[in-house]
Amino acid sequence: MAFKKKEATADLADSSVVMNARNLQQTAARQRISKICGKTLTYTFLLLMALIVIFPFYFMIISSLKTTEEYRRSVPTLFPMEFKFENYLNVFTDKDFQFWVLFRNTVFVGVVSTLLSLVITVFSAFAFARLEFKGKNALFAALLGTMMIPGELFTITNYQTVNDFGWMNSYTVLIVPFLVSVFYIYLLKQNFMQIPNELYLAAKVDGTSDLKYLWKVMIPLALPSLISITILKMMGAWNSYMWPRLVANDSAHKLITNGLRGAAFVDELGNTDYPRQMAAVAVVSLPLFLVFIFLRKYIMKGVSRSGIKG
Amino acid sequence: MVDTRKQWKAWLYLSPAIVLLLVFTVWPIFNTIRLSLMEGYNSTMAANPYVDHEFAIGLGNFKRVLEYPNFLTCLKNTVLLCVITVPISTLLALLIAVGLHSIKFLQKPLQTIFFMPYVTNSIAIGMVFAAMFNMVIGGSTRPDSVGIINNLLEALGIDYVNWTNAGSKYWANLVVMVVYIVWNALPFKILVLLGGLQGINKQYYEAARVDGTKKSRVLWKITVPLLSPMLAYVIITGFIGGFKEYSSIVGIFGDTMGPAGNPYRMDTMVGFIYRAIGKQEGTASAAALILFGIIFVVTMINLAVSKKKTHY
Amino acid sequence: MKVVLQNLTKIFPSRDKKSNQEVVAVNDFSFEIPDGKLIGLLGPSGCGKSTTLYMISGLQKPTSGKIFFGDDDVTELSTENRGIGLVFQNYALYPHMTVKQNIMFPLENLKGKDKLTKAEKLERAMSAAKLVQIDELMDRKPNELSGGQQQRVAIARALVKMPRVLLLDEPLSNLDARLRLQTREEIRRIQKETGITTVFVTHDQEEAMSISDMIVVMKLGVLQQIGKPQEVYDDPVNLFVAKFLGTPPINVFNGAVKEGKLYIGDAAVLETPGVEDQEVTVGIRPEGFELEADGALECQLSNVEVMGRDVSIVTTHPASCNVTIRSIIDADCKVDVTATSVRYNLKPHKVFIFNKETEERIYF
Repeated sequence: MAFKKKEATADLADSSVVMNARNLQQTAARQRISKICGKTLTYTFLLLMALIVIFPFYFMIISSLKTTEEYRRSVPTLFPMEFKFENYLNVFTDKDFQFWVLFRNTVFVGVVSTLLSLVITVFSAFAFARLEFKGKNALFAALLGTMMIPGELFTITNYQTVNDFGWMNSYTVLIVPFLVSVFYIYLLKQNFMQIPNELYLAAKVDGTSDLKYLWKVMIPLALPSLISITILKMMGAWNSYMWPRLVANDSAHKLITNGLRGAAFVDELGNTDYPRQMAAVAVVSLPLFLVFIFLRKYIMKGVSRSGIKG
Repeated sequence: MVDTRKQWKAWLYLSPAIVLLLVFTVWPIFNTIRLSLMEGYNSTMAANPYVDHEFAIGLGNFKRVLEYPNFLTCLKNTVLLCVITVPISTLLALLIAVGLHSIKFLQKPLQTIFFMPYVTNSIAIGMVFAAMFNMVIGGSTRPDSVGIINNLLEALGIDYVNWTNAGSKYWANLVVMVVYIVWNALPFKILVLLGGLQGINKQYYEAARVDGTKKSRVLWKITVPLLSPMLAYVIITGFIGGFKEYSSIVGIFGDTMGPAGNPYRMDTMVGFIYRAIGKQEGTASAAALILFGIIFVVTMINLAVSKKKTHY
Repeated sequence: MKVVLQNLTKIFPSRDKKSNQEVVAVNDFSFEIPDGKLIGLLGPSGCGKSTTLYMISGLQKPTSGKIFFGDDDVTELSTENRGIGLVFQNYALYPHMTVKQNIMFPLENLKGKDKLTKAEKLERAMSAAKLVQIDELMDRKPNELSGGQQQRVAIARALVKMPRVLLLDEPLSNLDARLRLQTREEIRRIQKETGITTVFVTHDQEEAMSISDMIVVMKLGVLQQIGKPQEVYDDPVNLFVAKFLGTPPINVFNGAVKEGKLYIGDAAVLETPGVEDQEVTVGIRPEGFELEADGALECQLSNVEVMGRDVSIVTTHPASCNVTIRSIIDADCKVDVTATSVRYNLKPHKVFIFNKETEERIYF
């Protein structure tokens, strides 16, 4: 076999990679060209895809600043010829859209449900992470098991339940049914578990109460997770659509997404006035952009593990 | 030994969560199964104090759901959207993630752009997509404005298409939905796959380079197998999300879930369930259980396949 | 295939933009690797030896300088066109492929007239596997193999396309002591059988000395010395090389040359004709000491370790730069363990003197 003989190897080396000065230059040139081609291809693809990804946002913003006439031109403009900021002013004053009512409702529901949810999640996660009780593991497994079931399955009965409770068209119905998230408990429990048990034992030796330990040690250490949960929960209120539409679609309790989808934004003839609609969409999207820009890492942390979108 | 005082404390801490879960999660599971087995159950009839209504126990609800033409439309739409969008978005996300991973210049800004659709309101941005595809009908034979997407098509020498307006074709509606759902699904997949790529030892690539392996071969023979756990993850979550598709369709078509004059043409299984809530609980429960069954089976198949493919 | 490195320099740009501190990993490095030899690139971590290897492989481009394989200038050639085999420190075996698939992988990239049939590929893979004695393990996955077996697979994968040059990056560092000994013999055997010019990187001088035809000692990116292991050991060009080679390490003293004699402390220990009077650093190999009742150098005895064949005497001396001095002498010599001091004479060829500032060798 070739491996056993020096000459054979040398021979093969010569034949497999024939090298002379001209060949060498050609190879070097060829590899440079293929490298440039590869890079060009990669960048072209990425930039094209980036353009596609970003275009709807761009379209939203330019459209929201156009006059209705300009928007409807058969040859579209890629930049507004004159800025019509009234479109944005209209968002806040539109009688049909009722931005401030929607905004107040959404923020109220968001804040209250976030606060209550955090309290419940922290106590549950603490019990699972630090306390010993009978049936702990079975209970936790059962909780995780419920995560597999699509939420729509619960909605049918929950609709009946809240109806029986007389909660229809109230803030309660928007807040209470979704206070407990098994995923948040899981997330925070994992985070609590990483805190060494010795800290808890040391606190017990010093006579620190559970609550004080929780407040002084665990919560500060688990702060990133708590921030993630807060952001996800607030975004949940901002983006929720299906449940509110079912149980609280009256004008007094309507949330922002329902209001946006439901508002007509039509002109005198009943045709959709897209610039006004796009301005409203932009206003509703703005808080999410701010979250994206400033708090992205907290969302990524939570969501990449869950596969759940805010 | 477990200290009894502590036991008591643990249950106290857990009590709010447990009470709420019992009412809004555990009870619905049993109740959904119960309702699905009560033939033709509906709450209005059940609540009527003057009629003592007995509902027969049986599988009639399931049978009725499966024979219901509307449900079959929903099933068809859901499956079609799933089967089309999951492979497209996974492949695109893979190529984008690999591309992003291979460059230095502009990597950060491009990454930011690709993650942007991540934190959006799917109803709100759906309305933007709807506007992009929508035609403004005027008096003449040709619409006043054919919409920006049609403008782009015409610039490429392609005739404009009625995407979402009255009289639009089914396939055109489907294309709009696919575009929007893929656009929406990309960032999460890119994020997960990019994370996976960054976890792959660089030396595998150096070893492949030493051997003069072609780029495409590196992608299919090294990157994809090494990335297979992440790919399995995004595919499974993609299918689960796909079977629950609803709000993206409302975003594009509004509550009618179809173009004007053709309501509910793009309805999905979740949409079907939602419309039956408060009216036909028996059917809704049966549909919800069928949906759960489908998701469960598809997930199991995915897991079984990925276990075989990702094992190393 | 001989490999020539000419004024090779590699400068890495600074990591953070503010300080603008460039890192010179390899500095004006030139040497020639004769055809069919096994070369050990040796130095402490961070000395640029791995960077040098990566430049030979083509995975990294030199900032300046040239690399020749035979008469071909391959500096501009990317790695796949150089015809090299590279074994990585942690082997980089593809975890999802079997041993057979791993070894065959490089062959499937061959194009054009080099393209092989399936049977040819299999035959080549089998013969490479036989060479490294893993032909029994062809259907296993890498995670089912021991470290030593993985190492062999990695070598087989590097050899299967019959490279012109074989490069090994710290090939033994992930193995335990016993396997390391065994595997280095194995590498030596494989290299001899194939006759492929081989360069390997290591920080372990014993490893390099034991199997290399030549060793190249590096420090902070600068070439210190090239030569046959024994020559470098016997004739180090500077204090760094002298200290780096040899176990136990060389003993270092502060000394002085006065009127043609080398002094350690007050004792004149050696004749150094022709050396100017100056302060010097003295290096004495452990085997350079001879016990003599009237020896010139007196050291305080602290310990005697008998290790079968030899005796290791641990002593102290005020002029020593290390805490202890270790000498190795024949076990036949009887040492009085109860004595407080011992006296040595020195073997002149085991004593090196170095300039106090430049640490360069002063020959005498």
